[in-house]
Amino acid sequence: MSVAAYGRLRSKKRRDRTMNILTFVAVVFFALLAIFPIWWIFRTSLMSSAEIYRYPPALIPGNWLFSNYEKTLEVFKFWKYLWNTMLIIVPSCLAGTFTATLCGYAFARLRFRGKSLIWALCIGSMLLPAMVTLIPLYIGWTRGLGFSDSYWPLILPYFCGGGAFNIFLIRQFIMSIPRELDQAATIDGAGYFRILFSIIMPAIRPAMIVVALFIFIGLWNDLLQQMIYINSSEKYTIALGLTNFRGQLKSDWSLTMAATCLSFAPGVIFYLIGQRYFVEGITLTGLKN
Amino acid sequence: MEAVNKLRKRRSRIYSSEARVAYICLIPAFVGLIFLTYLPLLGVLGISLTNWTGLKSPEFIGIDNYIKIFTTDPYIKDSIIATIYFAFLSVAGSMIYSLFIALLLNRKIPARGFFRAVFYVPYVLPAVAIYVGWSWLYEGNFGFFNYLLSELGLNKILFIADSSYVIPSLSLISVWLAGNLIVIFLAGLQNVPGVYHEAAEMDGANGWQRFRHITLPCMTPIIFYNLLLSLIANLQVVTPALALTNGGPGNSSRFLTYLMYDQAFVNYRIGYASATTVIIFVILAVFTLVLFKTSNLWIYNEGGDDK
Repeated sequence: MSVAAYGRLRSKKRRDRTMNILTFVAVVFFALLAIFPIWWIFRTSLMSSAEIYRYPPALIPGNWLFSNYEKTLEVFKFWKYLWNTMLIIVPSCLAGTFTATLCGYAFARLRFRGKSLIWALCIGSMLLPAMVTLIPLYIGWTRGLGFSDSYWPLILPYFCGGGAFNIFLIRQFIMSIPRELDQAATIDGAGYFRILFSIIMPAIRPAMIVVALFIFIGLWNDLLQQMIYINSSEKYTIALGLTNFRGQLKSDWSLTMAATCLSFAPGVIFYLIGQRYFVEGITLTGLKN
Repeated sequence: MEAVNKLRKRRSRIYSSEARVAYICLIPAFVGLIFLTYLPLLGVLGISLTNWTGLKSPEFIGIDNYIKIFTTDPYIKDSIIATIYFAFLSVAGSMIYSLFIALLLNRKIPARGFFRAVFYVPYVLPAVAIYVGWSWLYEGNFGFFNYLLSELGLNKILFIADSSYVIPSLSLISVWLAGNLIVIFLAGLQNVPGVYHEAAEMDGANGWQRFRHITLPCMTPIIFYNLLLSLIANLQVVTPALALTNGGPGNSSRFLTYLMYDQAFVNYRIGYASATTVIIFVILAVFTLVLFKTSNLWIYNEGGDDK
């Protein structure tokens, strides 16, 4: 290697190192910016009203008033709302993931008449925005089937395949599993369902967890449907409870922020548990198209 | 001959049992597609031709609802403007923000997983809590943003309580929520073949040139996917209006889906709201179609012939 080339390489290395340091500084800066709103909400939840309105505002509360949370819980029935939310989310996640796996398996592995037609219908429904069917479904659930002030209209759709997107995701994942595994099992005398339960399902566990997480997030955020199907405050979910609480306590910001932080908590915990799968699965949705 | 027939029979038996399993697996999806997707789609078209209010039995009135919407409806124009304005700012903002952050995270930095989690976390928080929380940051007197403005010697702004700032303010929140786009972009960046970069670097291409001529073309399919995802989601925006603004101030955040909600579930004009739904559907379909039709102009196909 010539001296000049060696020098060039060294200067490139040095340049790379400076760039990496600059990148790291930028990442830290933007990460702080991204996390800042959450911190601001959290620190407000621990402050007295006097401290909130002080100028200039403090970044860290002087006294950490955890009693704000006690006060909030007197009105904001967090545990009740959490329980109600779970009554919707848990069956939906289980049923949605299971039925999406069944359908994904059929599309990925089995041969049958009408496959391409059903698949086209399925993909087509992915492009259909959810709000389009809201009114007829509302009429169907409440008038046709008599479910008023009930969780069923929110849960039952997940017994029907868990959404085209999730079926698609599972199908793509199953297709990436080598067929030799199935064939070996067939030779050993395993039926299609045996193959699904004892070979496919263990292999696609990450995809199933991701589907469950997507259903979780979808329900978590779906204020509109919860608003139209749930009426009595006994049955409020976290989303409804928080909306209602904010209406009641418009000016008491520290209690409102305490309720907000309480509502954040389950999502954060759920995310920390499933983070690895989350990233894996979202990556998958982006690359398998 | 007999052997062949026997074999054929056996194969068709296997085939039919396979089909039977498939149909059993597909029953849930089939029920869902018919009763939760395609029949309701026809239903909304049908109801939109009636004057149903939910009380009396509906009467067929032809396309009267549509005529009314386009001629006398006081909200539809503001609503379309608000929705498109919001979607434009949110989509543009979140695409740029998430691609930028993904590019940063794609370099060799310590604790990358941790930072990825930090940028992703807003996406898993319940939307209502996000909006309620941000409404405090946007508060007109003591909110954090007004503190910043006053430090900079600027006048206070009411943000979500001001009709000219409400849309940009809500868009900023939806940009902040774009953590899933970052994760998808990051995955795409990690799939850009390293050899291209090395070769270009040998030829003396600088960082910007490499981004412009290697990274960006390789990323176009992912950019398309993210664009589609974020456009469809943002055009259906409704939660901020439900949780915070009630469509206000004035009509400045009366998004189309909120307009439909208001007509159907607050005023019980179900026939009329269905017509609004159909119009929203058409708007969404046009945007999606345009995106798909123009996609082959700018999506780079690795196997294809490069101009």
